[in-house]
Parts: sequence; structure tokens; C-alpha cells
Amino acid sequence: MNIKDVFTPFTTWSKVVKDPVTIKNPIGREAAPRYRGFHKNDVEACIGCGTCEAICENKAIDLVPYKDPVSGDSGLRPRIDYGRCCWCALCVDICTTNSLSLTNEYTWVDTDPDNFIFTPGVDKKSWDDKKDGWKKPVPNYHFYGQTRVPMGELHAHERIDSFVEFIKGYSKQQAEEEADRCVGCGICTATCPAHMGIPEYIKAIRNDDMEEGLRILYETNPLPEICGRICTHKCEDVCSVGVNGDPLSIRWLKRYIADQIPADTDKYNDILVTKDIKQNNKKVAIIGSGPSGLSAAYYLALLGYSVKIFEKLPQAGGMMRYGIPEYRLPYDQIDKDINYILSVGVEIEYNVTVGKDITLEQLHKDYDAVFAGTGLHLGRSTRIAGSDHPNVYQSVDLLRDIVKEVPVPVERKIVVIGGGNVAMDITRSMARLQMKKFGEVNIITTSLEDEAHMPADREEIVEAREEGCTIIPGYGPQEIIIEDNKVKGLKVWKCLSIFDEDRRFNPKFDASDERIFEGDMVIESIGQGMDISYLSEDFKKDLEFDPRGRVKTNDRFQSSLPWLFLGGDIIQGPDVIHGIANGHIAAQGIDDFLFGNKS
Amino acid sequence: MKAIVQEITEKYNLQNAVFQRDNMAFVEVEKKFAIDLVTFLKDYHQFSHFVMMSCVDWIEDGQFQLLYLLHNPALKVDIGIKTYLNRTEPVMQSAHHLWKQIWTYQREIKEAFGIDFPGSPNVDENFVLEGWTEIPHMRRDFDTAAYSEKTYFPREGRFTHDPATYMREKLYPNQPVTAKKNTNE
Repeated sequence: MNIKDVFTPFTTWSKVVKDPVTIKNPIGREAAPRYRGFHKNDVEACIGCGTCEAICENKAIDLVPYKDPVSGDSGLRPRIDYGRCCWCALCVDICTTNSLSLTNEYTWVDTDPDNFIFTPGVDKKSWDDKKDGWKKPVPNYHFYGQTRVPMGELHAHERIDSFVEFIKGYSKQQAEEEADRCVGCGICTATCPAHMGIPEYIKAIRNDDMEEGLRILYETNPLPEICGRICTHKCEDVCSVGVNGDPLSIRWLKRYIADQIPADTDKYNDILVTKDIKQNNKKVAIIGSGPSGLSAAYYLALLGYSVKIFEKLPQAGGMMRYGIPEYRLPYDQIDKDINYILSVGVEIEYNVTVGKDITLEQLHKDYDAVFAGTGLHLGRSTRIAGSDHPNVYQSVDLLRDIVKEVPVPVERKIVVIGGGNVAMDITRSMARLQMKKFGEVNIITTSLEDEAHMPADREEIVEAREEGCTIIPGYGPQEIIIEDNKVKGLKVWKCLSIFDEDRRFNPKFDASDERIFEGDMVIESIGQGMDISYLSEDFKKDLEFDPRGRVKTNDRFQSSLPWLFLGGDIIQGPDVIHGIANGHIAAQGIDDFLFGNKS
Repeated sequence: MKAIVQEITEKYNLQNAVFQRDNMAFVEVEKKFAIDLVTFLKDYHQFSHFVMMSCVDWIEDGQFQLLYLLHNPALKVDIGIKTYLNRTEPVMQSAHHLWKQIWTYQREIKEAFGIDFPGSPNVDENFVLEGWTEIPHMRRDFDTAAYSEKTYFPREGRFTHDPATYMREKLYPNQPVTAKKNTNE
């Protein structure tokens, strides 16, 4: 020991009267603005997708009920266990809605360790209103791609004079890149009417396992080539990745899987293990080979039923073949899906109209149950003055004639009334025929709805315009102008509103904003009606109908005549994927009806 | 700062010099020249303050990245020197002779990433983990979730839901989600 060691302790006494250099009270000191402290969640913006839970390396996050689930929101919200959280903020960085963040609050004193578990945004905390803390840095900081892989398509000038399919489909690299954007949350599955295993088949793409992908598709949808092209893809509307970016191209990914399997029914039977179905000696008749009829037929056949479809047209597919143009849905792709359904034992009798060539009574007598999916094949008229002129047509009739190769009248100037997908289909089909005949497109399509509310898919409107069609939304038809017994055009007024206060269809117009759309023919495309004349009066008196004239069915699409099931467009309105879902549910309902939940 | 970066770029044949801002630059240097460059900056360009040292596991590239961050108090500028090590040979020349506190950083990196710095004092002693028997915990192939599950007891009362399953149970419990088959199996 030296002298310094002896005196040094006393020198510290000189510090007693000086201000301390340390912080007097570290508790309460504000942390840095981007400090990672306790969680905060905007529970109204959060959709309960669970990516925070999936990425958490410490299993610190649970998803617990917050409210009832609805389409696009599971109703679950993340709960954090601070016994495990390491404040890495991966949960914030992956959050699809940017609702989750960390505040810069870092002190929380409690004597009960079990209190350190809470649901941010639900369990109120003192830091709920704090602005500082860790948030996902935006823009350009994402754990998954924000923009979808673009789909290749023929340019408008390459496609306008033919009915060749113009969507090219993804390559393997494109499909895997797009699939890689999926966070696998499954929010989409609830919204899909058929509840397809979407995250599962997207995972199969990532794993380059097309056979597994096909198996997943066929669990709930026996028309994947068709749906992969023309599904209304409601799933994409709720895709969690789409909250802050482009939603996944779910429809195109489904098509990618189906496209990879060659049109070989033996191969399909091998992959889907459908060669060894045991017959149950029950027979089901199906009226109509549209999506609901084919779906019911397929799932009934798998259950061992002998299934026969009665189709009034010369080929199967219903509105998928006779309503959707070939440039969107090529016939060979329809055939591919249907040929496989036929390969599992389903029979189709063509050119047979139930109610005319064979009665429903006869089907009831010959079969154990009947499913009717007869679709909406009758066009609806505006019934405005001039609409009874021979040069005024219904879109469904023309679309059907195009498929049947019946010559279709094509004039130099055409006006289409309607704003839905069928209106776009006839607009674009007639545009192609005009181009072939006259070398130019001259077609105007108008709808009551304004641009933002047109029921057609946005891409349909965009593509129609690319092809030279003129779309003028927001006008209501008043009169078809006829001079010298020839159609000259359509008089329209600006539409101010479509529905009244009671949500009844009651359009209001501004007569001062009048326009005349010149045309040599007018096509009405304002909706379709059903033909259920096969239901005889004897049956009708035992059936219940809703105010819109639709047969009432239960949740298994069973009518009040227990042997008669109905589904598809005649029950739920025009939509292929709804029809497919109805058919599957009805097949299950028929099986329950005949075997009482057994089989 | 630009002149310094220009000089060392030529001297050490550097690639990818990036100016994060006017007073902060990052350079990448070959492993064998890294400590030489750090020494050069300290001795010839007054980067006298060693700020910190860190490591990143670029497992996809099979590399560890070491970063030495230095500060020049006279010019008030910072420079980051990055160098890369093969993941299969996690050994780096020690820099403890330049600043004493590098001992501690190297000891921490040895524990967290398994990178050895031969000759660095106390480098093999535990840094924060006692009795650690797993692979170094900051390596990307360390399965944190599995370790958590294995090591920590589950808290009573915890439960969770898969969103898709929960929505099915609540919204469409009776709808078919699989294709039932009547087979001989």
C-alpha cells in the first residue's frame, strides 16, 4: 500500500457538494424515439391475420377473440406474454396492416408476474396514447413483396380480332415469386364461397409440388381450370397482403397449378385417388351441367352415387361455356375439367330438356334424389320504348349463339346497355366481331351505375377500353330511337340515383342531361332470369318461394320437397364459385338425406 | 471524409464504399486487410475513438459479416469497416491491441456467433450465458422458437387460435372443406 491509496478515499468527499453526473431518477426517463418498448395495437385496423404470432421467435404471442369474425377479419387479436417477449419487433415489421407497433415506454411495475400478459389495444395501458416508439419503417421496408407479379397478356391490337385466350398464365418462376408473397394467414379461405385451402395450395407452389396442389384444389373445387381463369376472386378482396400492397394473384396461382397437370384423366385419377370408388347403389339425377350441377355430380360420384346429368344444350358447362367468351375461358379448358368429372363415372345426357323431353315427376320416380342447377339463361329487357324492335337483342342469347356458331347479327354501330360482367362479355365479343367484319370497333356501353359503382370487374372495364370499346357509365336508357323502322340509337338521361330510401330499385334521372348514343343495333344486358318451368304446378304447391320468386332451400340447398335440392345461380345469383360451393354442400346434403349422416 | 475514403479505396482496393450521409461512410475490405485498415485509420487519420463492433450472420451467403465502427472526433465523422468471414472458418484476427474495450466485444461475438479471436484476452469466458450447450444463439440456424418451447414452461391460461380454423368454426362449421370418398380403404 502506498500513500495515494490511503488518501484517495478522502478525496471523494469533495464530490459530496457537487451535482451528480448520474440521472437522479432513471425511472420515468423518456426513451429514444425509436426505442422498442411495450406493444400497442390499433385493434380496428388489425384484421387478426396472425402473422405476428407466426413470426414470433419466442412464442410470446397468442391470438385471442376480440369480436365476432367477419369476412376479411378473423375477430382475433394478438396477446403478448412478456415472460417471453424479447422486444425484437419482428411482429411489428411483419404486420400486414401496420396496426401493431412498439411504444418507447419501458417501465411497468407490478407485484404479480402473471399480470405481464395483455392484449394491446384491448387491455388499456398508460402508453396507449404514446406516439414515439418502433413502427415499421415505411416505405421500402417489407418482409414480403408489395407488388404482384404482372400477368402477361396479348396486347389489345393482337387480341381484338380473335377469340384466342389473351391471358398467358404464369411461368414457374413467376408463380413461385408470386406465391412467395403469401403470408399464409388463411383469412381468404373464409371469404372464398367454396372455402378453398388457398394458403395450402400456394404453399404447394412454393414447394413446386403440383400434384399436392391439385389434390388441395379438388378438395373443394372440381373446376380449377375454369375457376383459375374466370373466378370472381372474392378471396383477393380480403387478402391481408392487399391491405398495404397488391393482394396475391390467387386466381392466377390456382390456374398455374391446374395448367401444370396434363389433360390426362388417368393421371388425374391417380393423383386424386379416384379409381377405387365403391358404389352405394343410389341414383341421383342432376338438371343442368353448369358449375353447381357439375360440382354436385363430382362430389356425389366420389361418395359412390350413380349420377346422371340432364343437359338441354349440346355441350356441358352451362353459362361457363355458353355465357363466358372463349377469349376468357377457352373451350378446351372447360373440356379438361369436365372430362375428368366424367372419368369418375358421371354421365351426361345432352339435348334433353327437363319439363319437355322428360318430366321432373319421372326423375323423381327413377332416382333417389334430384339436384337442379338450371342457371339464369333468360335475358331481361329494359322494357323501354323501342325495346321490342327486332334489332334489339339480349346479351345471353347472342353469347350463346356465338358458342353454337349460329350466325350473329353484327352492325357497324352497336350500343350495349348494362354495367356488369356479362355486359362486358358481350361488348368485347361484339367488338371482336365488328373488327372481323368492318376492320374497326364502334361500340358504346352504358350503365346506370357510375364508374366507381359498375358491378363489372375493374379489369374487364379496363380491357374493354383497351380494345377500343367506349364505356360511358352513369346514364339510364329512356328510349330506343327508331326511324324508318330502323334502330338509330339509344336516348339516355344522366342517372342521379338508382335506389330510393328504402333500397328499392327506383332510379332518378336528370332529363336536362340527355345524350343520344348512335347505334344500328342495341343489346340489353341488365341481368338474367331463370326458367323453372320444369317445376309442375303439383310440385310448386308443395314448394316455398321467396319474394323474388326463388325456391326456398335450407342450408344444404334442400327444398321443402326433401328429395329435391336446388343450387347455383337460381338460388344465390350469378357466380361460378358460389355455384361450385352450392353443389358440394348439396352433395353432402343429399348424402345426409339418403343415408342419415352415414356413408 | 471523401478524400479519406478515396485514399483507402485505392490503398486497399476496396469495393462498395457507401456514404450513409456526409459524415458517415461504410467500406468493405478483404478479411486479411481488415485489421490493417482499422489500424491505418486510427494511426494516420485520427479515428481515435472505437465506437463499437458487431456481427451479422448472412447464412444464405455462407458468411459472417464483422463491422468495426470508428469515429474521428476532430472531423466529427464516422466510418464503418465491413469484412466477411466464411461461416465454415469462423476465425478473425484480434484487434484488442488497438483499443482495450475490443476485448469485450470480441468475447461477446465469440459467445453469440461462435467467431474466435485467437489471442484476445478472456475470449473464451462466458459473456452473459452460463452453461450454454446449444449452438451460438445469434447464428441464424439456431431455432429460437424450438429453444423457447423446450426451455421455458408454458404460462398457465395461455391459449391461441389459428385464424382460418377459428373462422371456419364460427362462420361455416357445417360446410364441407374436404372431398369425402366412398372407397374400400
